[in-house]
Amino acid sequence: MISLTRALKAADDGPLELESIVAVLSAQFDVATGSKRLVRRRRVDTFDGRLRAAGLTLEHQLTAVRGSSGRDSAEQLVLAWPDGSSPLVVPVKDVRWPAPADVLPSGPVRDAVAAVIGVRALMVASDERRRMRRLELRNPDGKIVARVDLDEPASPTAPAQPAQPAQLTVRRLRGYDDQARRADSLLASLGLRAAEQGDISGSGSEQRAPVTDRAVDARVLLSTALNGFLLTMRQNLPGLLDDVDTEFLHDFRVAVRRSRATLKLGRPVLPEVMQSRWEPAFRWLGDLTTPVRDLDVYELDLPAMSRWLVTADPADLDPLATHLRSRRSVARKALVRSLRSARFRRLVMEWGEELAFLVDSPGDENREQRSAGLLADQTIARAYRRVARDGALIGADSPAEDLHGLRKRCKELRYALEVFAPMIDHAASRRAVADLKDLQDVLGRFQDSEVQRQALRGFAEEMMAGGTTAGAMLAMGELIGHLDVEQERARRAFDVAFARFGRPSSLQLMHRLGGGR
Amino acid sequence: MKVLATYNIKGGVGKTTTAVNLAYLAAREGRRTLLWDLDPQAAATYMFRVRPRVKGGGHALVTRRRPIEEALKATDFDNLDLLPADFSYRNMDLDLDDTKKRTRRLGQLLDTVAAEYDMVILDCPPSISLVSENVLHASDTLLVPLIPATLSLRTLDQLTRFVADSQGSRPEIVAFFSMADRRKRLHRDVIDAIPRDRTRVAETVIPALSIIEQMAERRAPVPAFAPTSRAAQCYEQLWAEVRPR
Repeated sequence: MISLTRALKAADDGPLELESIVAVLSAQFDVATGSKRLVRRRRVDTFDGRLRAAGLTLEHQLTAVRGSSGRDSAEQLVLAWPDGSSPLVVPVKDVRWPAPADVLPSGPVRDAVAAVIGVRALMVASDERRRMRRLELRNPDGKIVARVDLDEPASPTAPAQPAQPAQLTVRRLRGYDDQARRADSLLASLGLRAAEQGDISGSGSEQRAPVTDRAVDARVLLSTALNGFLLTMRQNLPGLLDDVDTEFLHDFRVAVRRSRATLKLGRPVLPEVMQSRWEPAFRWLGDLTTPVRDLDVYELDLPAMSRWLVTADPADLDPLATHLRSRRSVARKALVRSLRSARFRRLVMEWGEELAFLVDSPGDENREQRSAGLLADQTIARAYRRVARDGALIGADSPAEDLHGLRKRCKELRYALEVFAPMIDHAASRRAVADLKDLQDVLGRFQDSEVQRQALRGFAEEMMAGGTTAGAMLAMGELIGHLDVEQERARRAFDVAFARFGRPSSLQLMHRLGGGR
Repeated sequence: MKVLATYNIKGGVGKTTTAVNLAYLAAREGRRTLLWDLDPQAAATYMFRVRPRVKGGGHALVTRRRPIEEALKATDFDNLDLLPADFSYRNMDLDLDDTKKRTRRLGQLLDTVAAEYDMVILDCPPSISLVSENVLHASDTLLVPLIPATLSLRTLDQLTRFVADSQGSRPEIVAFFSMADRRKRLHRDVIDAIPRDRTRVAETVIPALSIIEQMAERRAPVPAFAPTSRAAQCYEQLWAEVRPR
């Protein structure tokens, strides 16, 4: 469905004169001018701009029309591709945002969007009212050979949002490239110039530039990282509270976890208040969000888990799905209550103030001053030594707790590599993270299997008390059996993964990153 | 990509009007649709106001001297492209006969644009030929318009046997009555009497309506120029019955 388009606008971004446009095009085409339509154009994307990152543009257009019962609106979704091929247009009715991909009508638009956005919901990224007029350029057979859309700002829905200037878009139709080129040249004679596609950001991210100077005070580096995590928490909070999709909570938790890890890694240089007040505060925040996230993970994993079943039917797990939803609903109410509490609001506000004070203050005289580079080297070295030491102690008879402990050490090393990434060699850091990731995956599979098994037993007891079906119990038993096998498999894979992590090339890599010191 | 062909050994039974209207309806609901007008008479091409000409003719397409993409034309409707007819298609049997896998070539050509389209509709010429065999192999559904007359039932029998005897994958046959006039007793009798056990027969009956004849004059699909007409509703019902799920 190739049909490239080219957008033009006035040299001064001013209005465009319809009469002169029609006059110049009429020299070579039979021009049919459509009536003026008021179109509300909502660009939708995920919060983290996944469609934009994939080069896709999805617009929900509402056009005012006069229907049988007075004023009405025609709705359509328009999906534009990165290669400029002609957009897909699908009629829709009463679509409300935010919404997951499965509210879109089945077909190519939904398929393309769902493949990119995954579990994320679509939200309105920009909302503009435009006056649109379409000119159809026809050949002597009456066939449309090119279209020209005149698109002018009406009134922005959000007053603060700057409106795009008036623009003309020449839409080339497949098989009629010459005619579109002719229309382009005719319009060029009016002094129009090419318009850049408007960049309408979804998340409005304003991350600070990373600190890369190794000589800078370590507190500057830590403060920059912690401010970045605070910003992520603030950005994700509204979507978390509105339950737009599960990724808001996930991203919020990642920011909390990274804040905790950074506070711990930075203990040698950070003021004492960080350990006495803020580490417990972030532990509280992490614990607060765990129940809902755990239930989210079970719900998201349920389709994959149902494929493990050998004798039971996937439908046998329906009571489990219902139980998870009901548990989540209760857990979410508690979470929302806490996130709307004065304690949480104070935490966020005072944490921001603390971070501002961290860099501006002369420093805690009880703490030494260290450069960011030195702290990076020392922290990575210590974290690496701990992983190597604890991993070497694990034998065939080691209890599961030892592997859990090692997993925590690995996480500390991973966070150290990530937090101090601006201080260390980028390529080496990426390779070290990749090496570590293999080991973390094995340890993760081992621990997740155990935790999930215990959780499923707990759910089974709760469901029994509520009088669930025998089919559900048997199916859950199968899942527990599968997890048991999976844990065994992960345990067997550990030795190989740890040996790979400790191989000479990996050790050399750690030396380069300061980890061998 | 799903392929639906409107096909009948007989001419003048409503193949082209059906192909044009269903292609429009498929595109209207957001499917990226291609209509290939295989009939050298070029009626579907005419209805979309496209010139019935393919550079190098059918020979260049069949022998792949020119890629199919170069011959495609956008129609006046969103999501709907046309591969126009060309008078040289009258020799397409001979062109196909010279190729390897001569009964599969049209399917192979369509495979080259499979990523671009969700739906392909083939408007076939009235005959049993090598082109027809290619259509059988390339299609998921063979949509057979029947005028309610005794001879039409015989034609459907012939067609069903032809499909059954063909080698390899076979399309599902869906017959439907076209150009029906319920005021005529013979039409009513034939519609009621058609055996539905061997071949799937669509419930929708397309009546003989002057607005369908106006397509050639208006040069557009019925649902585009008369969206609330009975004919448009009938084609919508037919599409609802035969569209891929």
